[in-house]
Amino acid sequence: MVIIDWLRVNWLYIGVPVLVFLGVFFISLWLRRLTYNAIERWLKERKTEINTIIVSVTRGPFLHWLLILGAYIALRVSVLEPEWKSLGGKILASIFIAYFGWILIRLTRELIMSLYPNKTKVPARAITVTTSVAQVTIIVIGVLILLELWGAPMTAILIVLIAAIVVAILVFHDIFPSLISGFQLTQRKQIETGDLIRLESGEEGRVEEITWRNSQVKTLEGNIIIIPNTKLMQTTIINFGKQPKVAKEAFQFSTRLHLKELTGLSASNLSQLANSLKEIPDAVVYYHTHSFIEEYQFLTPQPTNDFALWVQDALGYDILAERLACIDTFEFSTVEALRQRIIGVIQDFLAQTSNEREAPSGNEFHFIKSISIVLPTPYAAHNLQEFVSILRRISIGSLYFHIFEARLRLQRVTNDFSLWLEDCLGEKELAEQITRLDPYNYTMENLREIIIQFCEKKL
Amino acid sequence: MNPKINVRDYEPIVGKSYIEELRMLASRLSGKTILNINSTFIGGGVAEILSRAVPLLNQLGVDVRWQTISGEAQFFKVTKKLHNALHGKVEPISDNEFSLFRETTKNNLNQIDFSGDILFIHDPQPVALIADKRDIGRKWIWRCHIDISHPDSQVWRFLRQFVINYDAAVFSSPNFAQQLPIRQFFAPPSIDPLSDKNRELPPETVDAVLAKYGLNRDKPLILQVSRFDRLKDPLGVIKAFELVRKNFTCQLVLAGGTASDDPESGEVLEEIKERAGGNPDIHILDIPPGTDIDINALQRAAAIIMQKSLSEGFALTISEALWKAKPVVASAVGGIPLQVKNRLTGLLCHSVEGAAYALRQILANPDYGRWLGHNGREHVRQHFLIVREIRDYMLMFLTLEHKEDVIYL
Repeated sequence: MVIIDWLRVNWLYIGVPVLVFLGVFFISLWLRRLTYNAIERWLKERKTEINTIIVSVTRGPFLHWLLILGAYIALRVSVLEPEWKSLGGKILASIFIAYFGWILIRLTRELIMSLYPNKTKVPARAITVTTSVAQVTIIVIGVLILLELWGAPMTAILIVLIAAIVVAILVFHDIFPSLISGFQLTQRKQIETGDLIRLESGEEGRVEEITWRNSQVKTLEGNIIIIPNTKLMQTTIINFGKQPKVAKEAFQFSTRLHLKELTGLSASNLSQLANSLKEIPDAVVYYHTHSFIEEYQFLTPQPTNDFALWVQDALGYDILAERLACIDTFEFSTVEALRQRIIGVIQDFLAQTSNEREAPSGNEFHFIKSISIVLPTPYAAHNLQEFVSILRRISIGSLYFHIFEARLRLQRVTNDFSLWLEDCLGEKELAEQITRLDPYNYTMENLREIIIQFCEKKL
Repeated sequence: MNPKINVRDYEPIVGKSYIEELRMLASRLSGKTILNINSTFIGGGVAEILSRAVPLLNQLGVDVRWQTISGEAQFFKVTKKLHNALHGKVEPISDNEFSLFRETTKNNLNQIDFSGDILFIHDPQPVALIADKRDIGRKWIWRCHIDISHPDSQVWRFLRQFVINYDAAVFSSPNFAQQLPIRQFFAPPSIDPLSDKNRELPPETVDAVLAKYGLNRDKPLILQVSRFDRLKDPLGVIKAFELVRKNFTCQLVLAGGTASDDPESGEVLEEIKERAGGNPDIHILDIPPGTDIDINALQRAAAIIMQKSLSEGFALTISEALWKAKPVVASAVGGIPLQVKNRLTGLLCHSVEGAAYALRQILANPDYGRWLGHNGREHVRQHFLIVREIRDYMLMFLTLEHKEDVIYL
């Protein structure tokens, strides 16, 4: 009864604010419908993703904001004491700011996500960090407005805030440029995961991962290089892209080092040379038919052997020296066959010679055995591009092993490169091209360059 | 030991892949200890090589140690005699001296800590340590740094009884190989491209050294660096120079030193001065020991470097000259033909007239000289640098367990 009596006396004090609240609310609702209908019509024509997001995120909350607006105006027209009006206004304003801030944060996150065209290629950390920075900024601004609203001492807070920002900049000064660089790298698609790249330093490798600060490159030796994105943006990179044709099996490069073992055997005339040639192991024949190539890699090789050189220099048999030098090592597929040809040439000459010459003292022929030590290298090629890149950097010993040693000493019919190119990569024509190449007519570096040229034509 | 040496410093000289291969070999020696034993830490070629090779191998991760034997002065007199006898010089050595050699070896066997998987014994002085191989065990390698192509038979018989118990022997030239029942490897000696004697020098340093010795570059400079010894044929060099000078403007520098342990050197120096006869184009420089940069600068200033020796050991001065990309004219003796491939990395000669002919060819065709010099430098880069020597040693350590010709590690 008391309440009814009170309302009867004071109905104007309640009714006016309620009417104002309802009036404002319905007018705003009508205005919202007009506005959003217009926006939706406009969106249908343009199909802009950003505007669609704005509409979908704000449509529901907009209604709540109108309610808060209505309540605020109603409060203002009410007959409450000024201090109650002020307090109520602040509470409503605070609710609005918090709510608006929350929606703004949601909106920011949706918009940032929409900015990355293909999220699978963007490092998750990059999205997280960008979103976090935006959210923290909104929260800080919202809190500052609320503090201002409630009359907090702003000067001190602003000083603390500026100091915190300065410290953050100092601590994270390298993060932001990296972040921006990472963003640019992915946006411009300059490099992507899986690309084979060559850096200015000469290092080559495949891009394994692009994070928000660094990019990881796995080198051809299998090492991981971590490069800050800022540096990656500043340096010159050759991007070979991806290699679609992957070999059935990777080509594992080996290298070959060698030791010279002295046999203690020597010859001072042709008969001794021929007799020893019949007895010595293949490794000795191999050494004396390949030592010139190994010893003088930098010279255009004279396709010769130690026997020819010794016969000329120590015994002075120029004609025999020429005959021995003419033996084409490339013709032979076994060391034994090569040995027999050399013995045959010497014996033919001996049959026509009556007085044998003796080598001057100190100029005897010393038989040396080649001991090959083969080691796997960290280099493995999975496709033609990697094969070429590795070929550029492997040692001469490695090149020598796969070309010379594989064919004649290990009797693999042809060189290792041709075998792999044909069997594992299906590059039959290229394999045949390298097989036909007579390696005894080139310096090791020339040989490397020619094989690279053959391969590059296929790329 | 030289703490300044860093294996990475050799990368620009021999290439990254070369150093990578050294590391690959070193990793396979992980867990093994190699103990070098020689007669001295300081002085002499072996100590010089070990003082560089040991820290380099350690940097690569190989546990390499170095110890020396000790002995009275009388012991080292005997070993000096053995050394000379192995070089072919007739040196009567008494039974007492052989006994002293055995006795000192025995003392060293009790003193030395043989904690190593591979014992790398250098030269004849410690060769008899192998006598206790049964007790000490492990692998033993004898590294012979000296020319034993024509050894005194009595001395070689004495040493051979020890050598045949080793697992392998290493010689500096194929000529030095002997009939032995053990494996013999060929590993030539080497120079260090980063030492004072071989490192790059700025032109000002070269000019300063020339000024110091009163030389200039007005005329092409022909240089022979060697101690004043008749075996280096300094008079033959002067004669060849005089033959050349009839048609070519040039100057000759004979740079060397007089050794305190060689009473003949002062006498030879006087002979040279007399033979030069005040010729203003012949400069005879008595260079004190320990002036490696001076020698380096003279070699770099030279147009042609000669080594017209009558007899030689390995003659690393040739590699030093070739490393500076200089055309070399040298006698075909000792280890010189291993370094100078005639008409490819230099010119070989057998006589004074041959030397003069070779000098003329280069003086008349500077481009040819540059081509020879370039080839010579590449030849040294490939075969006669310290990194090649330590690589050979590592390969040897790794192959001791293998008998096959192609070894997969």
